[in-house]
Amino acid sequence: MTDVAEGSATDVDRSQRAAGARGHVPGDSSMWFFVIGDLLIFGVYFVGYMYFRGQHHELFLKSQARLNLDIGAINTVMLLTSSLFVVLGTEAARAGNRAAALQRFWIALAFGAAFPLLKMFEWIPEISAGVTPGKNLFFMYYYVMTGMHLCHVALGLVIMCFILRNLKTSKAPKISFVETGATYWHMVDVLWLVLFALLYLMR
Amino acid sequence: MTALIRNPLTIVWALLTTVTIVSSLIALDGGAAHQINTTVTTAVLLIAAVKAQLVISHFMEVRRAPVWLKATTSGWVIVLFALLLGFYFAGL
Repeated sequence: MTDVAEGSATDVDRSQRAAGARGHVPGDSSMWFFVIGDLLIFGVYFVGYMYFRGQHHELFLKSQARLNLDIGAINTVMLLTSSLFVVLGTEAARAGNRAAALQRFWIALAFGAAFPLLKMFEWIPEISAGVTPGKNLFFMYYYVMTGMHLCHVALGLVIMCFILRNLKTSKAPKISFVETGATYWHMVDVLWLVLFALLYLMR
Repeated sequence: MTALIRNPLTIVWALLTTVTIVSSLIALDGGAAHQINTTVTTAVLLIAAVKAQLVISHFMEVRRAPVWLKATTSGWVIVLFALLLGFYFAGL
């Protein structure tokens, strides 16, 4: 077990106190403005999808039948598990337990990285079968929304690598940086939960 | 390890995973025919709303955040799912 360097004690203490107290904004508040903005933008897409769905029920239902629900569900569990290890890693980092934080963020990265890999197992057979964004309105929404989401996943994985580097090499790991990255990753999770229900589950 | 299993966050994760499986089963069971099914849709959308709120409160740690952040994020969940359900039923 590696304890954080002495120099970082103040940062850790401050963050620990703040996390214990009511009214702590996890991470940088500018990230929260980005997160809220992103939630609103995706919200517009979600509502737009539902509006057009109402006008083309048959088309949307028939198209949905071509999706791979199993991969969708497994990917949901991958992101949820990754998010769990991110929050556990953040707790460990806050408590000054660098070894546990590193271990948990590595696990989170592994589960997170499974998401795009599984997505490829979904997309490649669909595209090879001629199911492309131009096929119909449902698949246009499907590829645009899951594609935008996938870009967020990719960025989240890069951020997680920076968190790992910060935890591994920095003399004084910045807890606020860990929390900021974690906030972004959980947002990616929240957006997927809505996408999963809209694209795969509803009838 | 035991500490991890007993961690309230792990319990939240177990709940989230369980409802993910349940909602997939609801879709498979009630929606396999790929016809309009208001019961399936209402159930899976409400489950998704609860899941989103759980991730926001517990994983994003918004439950310990200031009121403005709690209100904004929960407001997003409530307004979004109200609109989704509203547009779904209006489009039937």
